[in-house]
Amino acid sequence: MAELSAPTRSAPALAVESLIYAYPQSAAPALRDVSLELAPGELVLLAGRSACGKSTLLRAACGLVPHFHGGEIEGRVVVAGIDALASGPGELASAVGYLAQDPETQVVSTTVAAEIELPLEMRGDAPGARARAVEEVALALAVPHLLGRAVDTLSGGELQRVALAAALVTRPRLVLLDEPTSQLDPVAGDELIWLLRRLNEEWGVTILLAEHRLERCLAAADRVVAMESGRIAFDGAPREFLSWAQEADQALETPAARLFSLCGIEPLPVGVRDARQTLQGLGVAHPPHPAGRRVSDPQPADPVLEAKALWVELDAGEGPRDVLRDLDLTVRRGERIALMGRNGAGKSTLLRTAAGLLEPVRGRAEAQAGMALLTQNPGDYLVRERVGDELPGEAGLAALRVVGLEHALDADPRDLSGGERQRLALAIALAGRIDGGELPGLVALDEPTRGMDRARKDDLVGLIGDLATRGAGLLVATHDVEFAAAFAERVVLMGEGVVIADGPAPEVLSGGWYFATEVARVLDLPGVVTPEQGAAILKNSSADFAFGSGMRNERRSQRGWPGGEG
Amino acid sequence: MRSPFAYSPKPWPLQSASPGAAVVYLGSFAAVAFAYSNPIVLVAAGVGLVIAGRLAGARAAVRAALWMGLTLALLIVLVNALVVSRGETVLLRLGDVPLLSDVVTAEALAAGAAIGLRAAVVMVAFAVYSACVDPDRVLRALRPLARRSALTATLVSRLVPVAAADAARLRDAASLRGPGAAPVGRASLARRLLAGSLDRSVDVAATLELRGYSLAPPKPEGGATFFRPYRTKKRCTRREDSGSVRSGLRSRHDWRFYAIGAAVLAAAIAGKLLGADAFSQYPAVAVGLEPSTLGLSVLLILAGFAPRHG
Repeated sequence: MAELSAPTRSAPALAVESLIYAYPQSAAPALRDVSLELAPGELVLLAGRSACGKSTLLRAACGLVPHFHGGEIEGRVVVAGIDALASGPGELASAVGYLAQDPETQVVSTTVAAEIELPLEMRGDAPGARARAVEEVALALAVPHLLGRAVDTLSGGELQRVALAAALVTRPRLVLLDEPTSQLDPVAGDELIWLLRRLNEEWGVTILLAEHRLERCLAAADRVVAMESGRIAFDGAPREFLSWAQEADQALETPAARLFSLCGIEPLPVGVRDARQTLQGLGVAHPPHPAGRRVSDPQPADPVLEAKALWVELDAGEGPRDVLRDLDLTVRRGERIALMGRNGAGKSTLLRTAAGLLEPVRGRAEAQAGMALLTQNPGDYLVRERVGDELPGEAGLAALRVVGLEHALDADPRDLSGGERQRLALAIALAGRIDGGELPGLVALDEPTRGMDRARKDDLVGLIGDLATRGAGLLVATHDVEFAAAFAERVVLMGEGVVIADGPAPEVLSGGWYFATEVARVLDLPGVVTPEQGAAILKNSSADFAFGSGMRNERRSQRGWPGGEG
Repeated sequence: MRSPFAYSPKPWPLQSASPGAAVVYLGSFAAVAFAYSNPIVLVAAGVGLVIAGRLAGARAAVRAALWMGLTLALLIVLVNALVVSRGETVLLRLGDVPLLSDVVTAEALAAGAAIGLRAAVVMVAFAVYSACVDPDRVLRALRPLARRSALTATLVSRLVPVAAADAARLRDAASLRGPGAAPVGRASLARRLLAGSLDRSVDVAATLELRGYSLAPPKPEGGATFFRPYRTKKRCTRREDSGSVRSGLRSRHDWRFYAIGAAVLAAAIAGKLLGADAFSQYPAVAVGLEPSTLGLSVLLILAGFAPRHG
């Protein structure tokens, strides 16, 4: 075994030189000539589309690549003075903490305290030192009340914090996080990002954070590194990154940056506060409220789901509790509804009850014309090795046509992209429920955008629109407010098992702080939630408010944004 | 849905006790169940364990174990009655049926009940152990003795609940398939679960690597200084009990469980010598009611109160 080398304080937290890496049996390298250096105390955001190499770079920095995954590697990776290619993940454990996307597989102990203590025990720390370190990291992450709990009784957000505590307990110089907010609601996601910023500032921990929802963390970052096809395509300050994204890959623009871009305002904002200050400087801090924006009434179509006085009780190990409480909800044909609320609000329980997976203790939930539910893990639907075997016959082909996968009849589901696999799973749920191209029932999706980049979300928005056009009522549980603003005409906001807001999407998504889009938070105008809506308001007001030197040439502001509804 | 047998951390005496103390205490009941056939002693051991389980906050585990244990006991009674033809008191004549006895006797029923009772008592003991003894502390205690086995046990103990959750999800997904999709049989589901479990085990193994599990065992620290603070005689508060659960340190309740476990084992040995296990099933049922039998039974019931607070 390699001799343990002590982390060096003065050395860069991470130094990657000319790194080339290919996974075993992979034709193309996942990383191509990557060079990167992170100074101690930096908070760096790693951006890029799905499968661009972000996760692989993080795995190389913690030693899992190549020591755990194998493959071919060239170049050099040094973490806090320790050669990561010579030392394994165990030897690096004191210098680097790693938090992956799925917290379920990152806990290995039965209780929270044991989970957090394990790395210290493996390192050989004395019991007294271990107890103190566990206490301190628990306090830093606001989880001391969880220490005595069993890990299988924790919510997703709690589990993510516990996994982060286990990654931080050794006081590592470098912390690597791979989409840590993908399973968290907006409240928990924002809290986690600002918690990281606080740890970065107070403990001096260097943080490398891979994220798709850039609007959530750009303002907290010191620097952004963008990857493209295994290469580093951009490395610079957040504001420069936005200018780069505008030219190179608009799928990486944040909604506020796009709003400014559409209006030709400069500089592009890295966050809500920045955007507000810029607008204030231009004299448009309080744009006029949109006059007479009439929200269309719901179509008097047939209901596809009716929940009446619905009570559902679940027992997660700490005694039964009411998860849905006297809930009423009606979904009609052709409606596109976003079901939102924080973790544990009852969104998934409502969908599962409507699909018949759970029995209500009182009341009823009926999907009269049938219901197709796609749960959070589309892979659970794929059990065969050929698409045609999953969906035989004319009914199967019709379902594949609806999701645009009729060409993939002979493909192995494992060879499909993430988005295609999701469409295939949806086709499996829809098969036999299509009536001559029409979809008479309810289609429900549970957190369909987990780990998705913007381009894939835009594809999904298109698919949802198509399904609604075919007559289905769409009910989509999501934490992603920007996605909800893009597809939904109505938003149902849940809290503690009851509906706390139900109305047109622009109204609900502009009326709060956490469950509001970035544009809504910047402009604070009722009913204005997308960059296109915001740009229209700002442009209309441009006659009254001089944008002055902040305005850029009109040519750039005319450019559209792929996938936007305008 | 959590298994009723899953460990639930609580700052209570049995959960706070070190694994050794809990094993000696609960193991003494199981040892009596294995060593004795006298139904009075077995019932007393069962009653003691039920009391212990309830006082330790493991009601759900006890209830589930009793349900499973008594079902198993009933099955054993039935099978024993149908295959054993010994005994004087014939209750039913079955005639000439291949592989089965031609008669059902009261003695065969009683013998089956004693075996079933023994199985039920052992199941309750294991249920209380499972719900009250922290597996992390057990693995930690085992690690210096058998490092690789402890690693395997850690992986398995983590993968079992993960695989159970995966299986539940796969079943849900199978039931959500549209009527036009190919149906999913048990074999396909099992294959998919196995493939998924392999992926999961890779993820869990990666996490163990990152936590430093592959490092060489840490060198033992010199002296016993680390434990000295926990040997103070000052009165422990409940908060300190909770601390011992969290950090895996020794508990002030350890001596109680060691002492009561040892007392039960000693009494069981003495009882055996004094004829407390007097019970014969054939040719006629005879249950011994010696003073030693009654004494051991009372002790077993009283021993069940060991997990109470105080």
